Amino acid sequence: MAGAVEPVVLPDLEQGQQSEPRSDLEPGFLVICWDDPVNLMDYVTHVFRVVFGWPKTKAEHHMLQVHHQGRSVLTRESLERAEHYVHQLQKYGLQATMERD
Amino acid sequence: MKLLRSTDDGFVFQFARRERRLLLSILELYPLIPASYHRLSKTADPEQIAADQKLLDEALAAQKAENQRQLLAVLNEPGRFRLEADGYELTLSAEQVDWFLQVLNDVRVGSWLKLGCPDPSKEPPAEPTEDNVHYHVAMEFCGVVQSLLLQALDTRA
Repeated sequence: MAGAVEPVVLPDLEQGQQSEPRSDLEPGFLVICWDDPVNLMDYVTHVFRVVFGWPKTKAEHHMLQVHHQGRSVLTRESLERAEHYVHQLQKYGLQATMERD
Repeated sequence: MKLLRSTDDGFVFQFARRERRLLLSILELYPLIPASYHRLSKTADPEQIAADQKLLDEALAAQKAENQRQLLAVLNEPGRFRLEADGYELTLSAEQVDWFLQVLNDVRVGSWLKLGCPDPSKEPPAEPTEDNVHYHVAMEFCGVVQSLLLQALDTRA
């Protein structure tokens, strides 16, 4: 059953074993949540709190940004972590994407 | 329906008989959001992210299959809905409430998609037809139950 999101644990890479392009490991990907007229505002706030562990005020701030501006940049991450967050947000039914910064 | 009490183990909700019946029939719609609804990116070249998109689709499909399995297990569990004098009492842990919110939201968003993604802020809602009235009911009822569950969680915040 789904519970609180656990942090992503990246495998230790020894020197010379780095297999991904450096650009994918840098925090160059924006995780964005887009507005839609169906998700309840309180629900969106709840999802942000669960997925990112944010306090209610920060979660509400981003929820209102989504509501009023059509989108909110939630975080800036590496490729792998951005994919993780997009998956978590979509699991809850929110419209979330990752875009290269 | 209402929150009866919050305990160390979770929450106890009360549903009238017809509310329980409606909830169970609506949950049969799960999952309702099609895989094509969720995109990994709005700007990236679809061909370049095809492999990542496939992985995301598979992860979401696996999650929904697990949710569906849990849904059947939880709702069919003896004593999950306990019949009392004023209706049925449903007991859920905080973790189960969070999971139940996901399921309800899938049905709400999926119903909205089936109705053609209406935006009440831009156009008056269309009249339900015989063919789609159950999606109207599902969307509204899921929203009401979601609000109840969120209020319950808020009592602990």
